[in-house]
Amino acid sequence: MELSAAAKSPTDQPSLRRALTPWGSFAWGYSDVGADIFVGLGLVLGAAAGASNVAFLFAGLVYVCVGLAYTELAATYPVAGGGQYFVLRGLGDIFGFIAGWAVLLDFTIDIVLFAWSCIDYLSKLMPVLAFTVHPWTHFCVVFVVIGGLATLNMIGVRESSAFNEIVSGLDVVSETAILFFGFLFAFRPEILVHTMNADWPTPFQLMNGTSLAIISFVGLESISQAAQETQKPASVIPRTSISLILTILIFALAYSNLALGIQPWTPIPPDQHGHAQALWQYLGSEDNNGAAVQVLASLIPYYGALAALYVPVLGAILLLISSNSGVFGSSRIAYAMSQTQLLPSVFQRVHPKFRTPAVSIMVFCGVALVELVFAALPSLSHASKDLYSRLFRGEDGITFLGDLYAFGAAASYSFVFLALIALRLKEPESPRRFKIPFNIPFRYKGVRVEFPIIGVIGWLGITSILVFTLITHLIGRFAGPSWLLLGLIGYIIYRRRKGLPVFRSQRHDWRTKQVQILRDAGELELMDEYIANVKRNDAERAALKAK
Amino acid sequence: MKKFVRSGTYLRLRLATGTMFILLGGALLGRVVMLFGLDWHAIPAYVLGLALILLGIWRYREYGMARKNR
Repeated sequence: MELSAAAKSPTDQPSLRRALTPWGSFAWGYSDVGADIFVGLGLVLGAAAGASNVAFLFAGLVYVCVGLAYTELAATYPVAGGGQYFVLRGLGDIFGFIAGWAVLLDFTIDIVLFAWSCIDYLSKLMPVLAFTVHPWTHFCVVFVVIGGLATLNMIGVRESSAFNEIVSGLDVVSETAILFFGFLFAFRPEILVHTMNADWPTPFQLMNGTSLAIISFVGLESISQAAQETQKPASVIPRTSISLILTILIFALAYSNLALGIQPWTPIPPDQHGHAQALWQYLGSEDNNGAAVQVLASLIPYYGALAALYVPVLGAILLLISSNSGVFGSSRIAYAMSQTQLLPSVFQRVHPKFRTPAVSIMVFCGVALVELVFAALPSLSHASKDLYSRLFRGEDGITFLGDLYAFGAAASYSFVFLALIALRLKEPESPRRFKIPFNIPFRYKGVRVEFPIIGVIGWLGITSILVFTLITHLIGRFAGPSWLLLGLIGYIIYRRRKGLPVFRSQRHDWRTKQVQILRDAGELELMDEYIANVKRNDAERAALKAK
Repeated sequence: MKKFVRSGTYLRLRLATGTMFILLGGALLGRVVMLFGLDWHAIPAYVLGLALILLGIWRYREYGMARKNR
């Protein structure tokens, strides 16, 4: 189709309503990424001990690179596919499938991990829900929560954007208050330095902690998922993304430094063998690692008494929203992948009455329930505990989920960096309202392009985290690649049956598609700029060929 | 919520929080330099201070843009 004709022709498919304002877009991302520190803090403290702040720093710097890449791509291609769409467009069908399949793993883990942690936070107010004391009750409640979220999503009930915005606003204030009072009343820099010197971990533990720290930064996917519903996405997404990236980085670094350098106002209880323990050990223990932010807040003088009451409730609500975003996100990504023939068309099937992707919701919530069983098994049966001790060094349930979460995120993000580089070379004509800084300009196939140095640094960082995950997590090493392999086998069978190319890509008219995307987003200036760039670049390429 | 986010109060709040972040980041960097100097233990704190200052500058930028659009 001619580009100027595509610019005028109406789309035949109904599109999502663009109702998200800058604050709405921030809140959407925050309700997903902001919940991560509630889960990640305890896990990282348990693994990286006195170097937890260094683990968060390394993962945080990689996350800044990931965030910048997502910001550029989501502002340039404001569609609802997220990372999977960028990889499909930049690297082709099979890599798009692998990235999407890894994101799907992350979303299913997201459902379980956050539902699990939500109940952990509530257990601080209702001890009957405590996992270490009543594992069966905890398991059954998490099971019911996931089942309930699946049902709500099937009948099409979602929390409203306004609810997300209020909870996110309250949480930003609450987390800031915890940090403010924590640093004011209880932080001692000399304790921080002492803990870092006395409890510095082994290189293996540090790698383990760093790979777990990345889970505190997972969820940027949701901003690009929301791109298709954001007003003026090319200018709004960079504004909200940068605020979100900096806010989350600040929270992660501040919480980890506070946890290592705080002087608690009440004595820390001894461990189960009666030995005295450091605060990081207490927060990273199996009893507390699922609700570390609440425990840390309750140890702050004066403010802790109040925080102990409301943080469990606020944390539980935010975690529940995040778990729900896993149900929503997995079903929508499967739907999008099925539309581009990366997954079978059954994932596009919508419920006749509720008009929701019921099959996708059922399948991926089913996967989440299987993951829940694997995570809870060692606590539910002694035989399984022995087996896990022999095979997996006795990793506990929540660490198992953290392992897989880190694997899925690192795998998909590494492809997103490659897609960023590929799209810079393949589609230099796409106007980029936001461009990652530090680029090397050169001519590629007769056209001026800019090579992103941060893309390479970020790719090296995220790949090293992927390697750390594979080296240090026995379950992640086995289960993560198995998930990818199973998916690839399914993909090959499906594409063969459909007579579609397996290792090559189908023909996609990305140019026409880009014009339609920009027009539907209301970015008409960018659309005109794109059409003009295409004409100019084509002329330059033709001139080069003629020579 | 939407009304509040579009109001003049929120606009001034951006300016106030931006100033607060810059002051906090500056104070943190100053205190860390005074306490530790250029010690590797302090690298996470340096990055935290810089991130706070950057967030403050970003809030200022947002404030400027919002004021221009009003």
